[in-house]
Amino acid sequence: MSCNRRLVFRLGRMGFLLELTDVVEVVDQIKNDIDPGRSDMRQGIVSALKFRKSWIPAVDPALILDISSTLRLQDKVAVILRGFEGNWALLVDQADELFAAESFKPCEIPFLLKTSATGFYSQIKLLNQEPVIVFEPERYYGSSAVAV
Amino acid sequence: MKRYGLFRFGTLNYALSLLQIQKIKQGLEAYPLPRLPGAVAAVLVDDDQLVPLLDLSWIQKEDLRHEVTKQGYQVLIDSEYGTVALPAEVTGRIVSEQKGTLSEVVTAKEKEFGTVAKFVYQRIEYNILDINFLAIELTQGFWNSRSDTGGARRHQ
Repeated sequence: MSCNRRLVFRLGRMGFLLELTDVVEVVDQIKNDIDPGRSDMRQGIVSALKFRKSWIPAVDPALILDISSTLRLQDKVAVILRGFEGNWALLVDQADELFAAESFKPCEIPFLLKTSATGFYSQIKLLNQEPVIVFEPERYYGSSAVAV
Repeated sequence: MKRYGLFRFGTLNYALSLLQIQKIKQGLEAYPLPRLPGAVAAVLVDDDQLVPLLDLSWIQKEDLRHEVTKQGYQVLIDSEYGTVALPAEVTGRIVSEQKGTLSEVVTAKEKEFGTVAKFVYQRIEYNILDINFLAIELTQGFWNSRSDTGGARRHQ
């Protein structure tokens, strides 16, 4: 996948932007490949997902971000990411499409909202006048996320 | 000649000095950024800037949070801490101070959260809002409800 393109995915109505560097694959249908019995909520893992014959952890960032979603777990889309400890799955409501990096305009988080965003996101960009959050995977899964 | 913008949200009639009003927009899309403070309903985008839309229902005793993003007008206001927006019905108007009566809020009983004075125009009382106070209180969580103060009134 080209590095000057970005993936936009959605949690509820909110858009997020993901660098493609660590994206392995986007899996649209996970219904037959999830095992919610294998969860570890302390690490944000809501299920295990079978991917390329291995079980990998699946993380739902909507829970951490307190975003309400109407989708059931089995109807979510999995974005498979490469991490320090191997692949892991990011469960999202919708993976929109790829956009050129130049499509995004930088946008400051207002001073008054900086405190509330701390720990969850640090950058927002505008895509066609819509704010999208720059998703930082390390905040949600992996050794640094556990430390938080 | 001092002028006020007069607006309404739910049962709250409020006034803002015209000098503080940056612009009045209609029908801006509201985006529910995650982890917003409880008294911020959403953010708006104006001139490539994000603007917190404050939930004025915190200064009333009404649960109108879901109405905040549906109002016809969004009033963008300059505060010491950056631009903030307030929701308003489409009945807003701008009047000069001399067309109404100004009264200071003096007693504790009269004191309302974020209100510095009252402006009466055509027999309707408008709360003149202290935007700097509200911007910081409503976004930094100081407004947190306390059972002994009857809601959002922390400052008595």
